Amino acid sequence: MNRRRVVVTGLGVAACNGVGVEQFWRANVEGRSGIAAIDAFDVTDLAAKIGGQVRDFTPAQYMPEDVAKRVDRFVHFGLACTEMALKESGLALQAEDPDRIAVIMGSGLGGQMFHEEQMVSAFDRGAHRINPASVARISPNAVASQIGIRYGLRGPNLVISTACASGAHAIGEATRKIQHGDAEVCITGGVEAPLTQFNFGAYCSLRVLSRNNDNPMGASRPFELGRDGFVMSEGGAVLVLEEREHALRRGAAILAEITGYASNSGAHHMVMPESGGADAARVMAASLRDAGLGRVDYINAHATSTRANDVAETKAIKAVFGEAAHRIPISSTKSMIGHSIGAAGAIEAVVCVKALQEQLVPPTINLDEPDPACDLDYVPHESRPVRMEHVMSNSFGFGNCNVALIFSRAT
Amino acid sequence: MNPMTSQEIELKVRELLSERSGVALDKIGAETRLAEDLGVDSFGSVELMFEIEEAFGLEIPDGDIMHVRSVKDITAYLEAWSSRKSLPRAQA
Repeated sequence: MNRRRVVVTGLGVAACNGVGVEQFWRANVEGRSGIAAIDAFDVTDLAAKIGGQVRDFTPAQYMPEDVAKRVDRFVHFGLACTEMALKESGLALQAEDPDRIAVIMGSGLGGQMFHEEQMVSAFDRGAHRINPASVARISPNAVASQIGIRYGLRGPNLVISTACASGAHAIGEATRKIQHGDAEVCITGGVEAPLTQFNFGAYCSLRVLSRNNDNPMGASRPFELGRDGFVMSEGGAVLVLEEREHALRRGAAILAEITGYASNSGAHHMVMPESGGADAARVMAASLRDAGLGRVDYINAHATSTRANDVAETKAIKAVFGEAAHRIPISSTKSMIGHSIGAAGAIEAVVCVKALQEQLVPPTINLDEPDPACDLDYVPHESRPVRMEHVMSNSFGFGNCNVALIFSRAT
Repeated sequence: MNPMTSQEIELKVRELLSERSGVALDKIGAETRLAEDLGVDSFGSVELMFEIEEAFGLEIPDGDIMHVRSVKDITAYLEAWSSRKSLPRAQA
């Protein structure tokens, strides 16, 4: 039996180098970084002081003011990106069966911002002064629930939390929901608002964040010899996925098709990848099998700019594609926007869809002197026109949660 | 510290309700009902009591929420509280 096909009909994105698909895509093609000194909270006593804040973002532009006031920042990203994606999709919700529309989102941290605020209040003033809205605002699944409530979507509604792979996991599982017939349409993606005192401080303690504070835009340097860790950022992205016949019947513009998905675990360590990249290789190979493909024309790498990830990922790509690995263009979105944890996989999915549509690979910026252990074609500095039918996006989360997605040109 | 007047208490309560419900301040009066007129459900009333506690600097025992149905119920409750103990001026 032929598998139901899943297509992308709408995109929404909020990233530190652009809010809205057109602005974001233009920034990526032009190699513009969104990294700057953090002013969202006090970084005085922290070694890392830079990050990717989403600026010029007014939540109430995308949702009613009273909703904007009552949800945490990670939900702002979710609701705003959903509004953008639904608009692009042209989906007339009142004509759809709401029971057949799912919402599957990714978030590594949930409402960390409000959580921290309330923790401080609880310690300063006593636990009886905790805001009663805390439970509803902090829960990671608030993002999917609020999207469901806002648009009256009554199908499966869930949030996946697998650290840096959350957004990619959500898209993969949303794809399965449609393939398996559990939904006709799925709102999916990932969001994160991790730029908070405690969370940022915790990653800082882990010594995985770049301390290149004097050169914020040059701090995220995936595959580069001088890289010293990743740059944390916030943001979100949402994709409207649809069963292909459903999209065709309503005359929707199909932006791309999702043809492959796999996820696995390295079963190895909470924060270290397997150094040989064997787990990453297995998940990439599994996604190719799922798509029935032998190779892809572009890889949007996980590429965090940490010493551990970039070498392991390079080894994995070589293990999967052999000699051909040297001829596949690979690039890192994180070189421009840093690492937005649970949003990253979804934001990078937007890049993959746009790359297929425009037949243009955005660059890896800051790649001045490649690490000798990273010797593939990472499309340094300048974007490049490439003929692409199929592209792969890798996402590897802390805890060894790995995901590979394959997007194909609309046919 | 001067105690708040009845008018000040009612204005503050109406402001909190207006902020919460999106209903204009001049459309909210003493007779306005929380559930029927402003759509305050049981979760909303828990949040509202928290906001009132924060704004007036008092603590409302659980049982007392049950009797509150309208703006004038809240202001009467706060006036009774105020007469027992001088209320500090609410912070702007």
